[in-house]
Amino acid sequence: MIENAKCIIDARNIVKIYQNGSEKLKVLDDVSMQILEGDFIVILGPSGSGKSTLMNLLGCLDLPTSGQYYLDGLDVLKAKDNQLAEIRNQKIGFVFQKFNLLPRLTAIQNVMLPLLYRGAKEEEAKESAKEKLKLLGLGERLNHRPNELSGGQQQRVAIARAIVGNPHLVLADEPTGNLDSKSSKDAMEIFKELNRQGNTIVIITHDIEVAEQVKKVIYIRDGRIYDKN
Amino acid sequence: MKIKQLLKLVLINIYQNKVRTFLTTLGVIVGTATIFLVVAIGAGGEAQVNEQYSKLNVGTIIVMPAQRGKVVDPLTEKDAELFMASDNIAHAFPILQGSGDINYNNFSFNSSFIAIPPEYQENNNLTVQQGRALDDEDEKKKHKYAVLGAELANTLTDGNPSEIVGSNISINRRKFEVIGIFNRVGDTGSHSSYDDSAFIAYSVGEKYLLGTRANPIITVQATGLETVQSAINDITNTLNETHRMGGAEQFRILDAGSRLAAAQESARTMSLLLLAVAVVVLIVSGIGIMNVMFVTVKERTKEIGTLKAIGAKKREILSQFLLEAVIISLVGGLLGVILGFFAIPLLKYFELPALPSISGILLGLIFSVITGVFFGFYPAWKAAELNPIDALRYE
Ligand SMILES: Nc1ncnc2c1ncn2[C@@H]1O[C@H](COP(=O)(O)OP(=O)(O)O)[C@@H](O)[C@H]1O
Ligand SMILES: [Mg+2]
Repeated sequence: MIENAKCIIDARNIVKIYQNGSEKLKVLDDVSMQILEGDFIVILGPSGSGKSTLMNLLGCLDLPTSGQYYLDGLDVLKAKDNQLAEIRNQKIGFVFQKFNLLPRLTAIQNVMLPLLYRGAKEEEAKESAKEKLKLLGLGERLNHRPNELSGGQQQRVAIARAIVGNPHLVLADEPTGNLDSKSSKDAMEIFKELNRQGNTIVIITHDIEVAEQVKKVIYIRDGRIYDKN
Repeated sequence: MKIKQLLKLVLINIYQNKVRTFLTTLGVIVGTATIFLVVAIGAGGEAQVNEQYSKLNVGTIIVMPAQRGKVVDPLTEKDAELFMASDNIAHAFPILQGSGDINYNNFSFNSSFIAIPPEYQENNNLTVQQGRALDDEDEKKKHKYAVLGAELANTLTDGNPSEIVGSNISINRRKFEVIGIFNRVGDTGSHSSYDDSAFIAYSVGEKYLLGTRANPIITVQATGLETVQSAINDITNTLNETHRMGGAEQFRILDAGSRLAAAQESARTMSLLLLAVAVVVLIVSGIGIMNVMFVTVKERTKEIGTLKAIGAKKREILSQFLLEAVIISLVGGLLGVILGFFAIPLLKYFELPALPSISGILLGLIFSVITGVFFGFYPAWKAAELNPIDALRYE
């Protein structure tokens, strides 16, 4: 652990129980983890092990049944709906397996959205979005809609959208799950490059090949984590 | 998000769903057009009523048999004379009205004729543009003279009225000499517009045209607006004495003021009725909007999840969908107003008076926006309340 490094994620004894009718399903069981600024972490586990549930909690899209969670020092469990929205907007960038681009917006409009929700002026948002898309090699595709882009390009737009607001943390849930092997490799290179530039990145995957490319891997199975490093 | 950006986002969504938007707006289009037309018809109707009655002195009282058709105990010239005895009454004239074929130079035209005591002319602003008016001699000696309304003279002569003065016409096959043409008095809107009628002396009408069927009405002029009610009382008393068989009950006594009020009232009732129809149409169209918005929210559940993930607040999701509903209905409203403008000539064709007005446009647009807000709110609220996780997991 690097001295002085800021603790971005501090999750302690997280339990998440889903109630399906009368049945209770404990999806996360006493999960604790710390993620430091500048980390590049892969959370690896088989399908159904609770990875996405964990990501949703880390990303403040959902709250745990019990436990404590501090994001960048802020007590997430005490935050209100609007505060959570602001945290998601300013501190977190999401990348989804299915890209989740808005189909009626162009690439640049998609990338501008987080800034616009932040209240940025259109011109500023456009400039930043253009810059990020260029960085990801999509300078020629600014005004294409998602259905006019390949899977790899769509995921790059999604990555641009995740990092456009310079978040503290990029959370990616199976970002290569819907990509061919070439695009997967490209995407991973992008994440590595972003990490080299100082971004904190958490990738969730069931793909061992993805995990092999990073130093820190957190293993999860049946809602419990095993830190093998 | 800044409102301008939100609006842009909404417009992109609407624009890329043009067909859906248009189909959703159909109801609003019809509803708004109806409201616009209702207000136009209301204004037109009121204008028509006012125009009709502007010629009528409010002190005018009309006495006529209560029942149409054959009258057992008709009014007579004598009644008119007796009415004059009242201090509250300035004038009382019996007049006879009928309609029939008016023929000139083998050109035949169905129109109305009115038999009047000669003094009636001065009291009703009937002045001649050519020839002369009827006079007491004509009345006393039962001269078969006629004075024509300006429009009738025009029609009979095919636009060359001066030639008819001094010529003979026939009314219901009886020969009359045309001695003059009245100045135009304007459209009174009623069936027997003065401009379209032929005027003859009262005694002449009684003798030659209507005979035993003569069934006059009596137009009475009260001395002033304040005396109208007393005059009506005096008339009632007189009728009770002179028509002992049925008394005043068999007659209708109408004063122009209350007739005007009644006509305005019925025009207003008509408007209200149509307005109710328009509101119903808008409610139905609003339910349509609500339906479409529910489908839209459902279709975009995953998008809503994504928006929440990148930081959209509940309020912003709510505004987005509410704005979408409002804009859709506003588009419908604008198209409705345009449709309304196109419909006005059609109404004119069917002789429905209609006056388009700013207030009609505003009322239509306001109602369409209210429809959008009211019926768009619940779906938008549902969208805003979606749990981000459930929304993201939705397929
Ligand atoms: N919203 C939910 N309601 C009920 N059960 C859920 C919900 N989300 C996930 N689960 C269940 O929790 C378990 C873990 O799911 P998930 O976190 O998606 O796993 P992973 O992403 O590792 O495949 C699964 O059995 C899934 O069915
Ligand atoms: Mg998953």
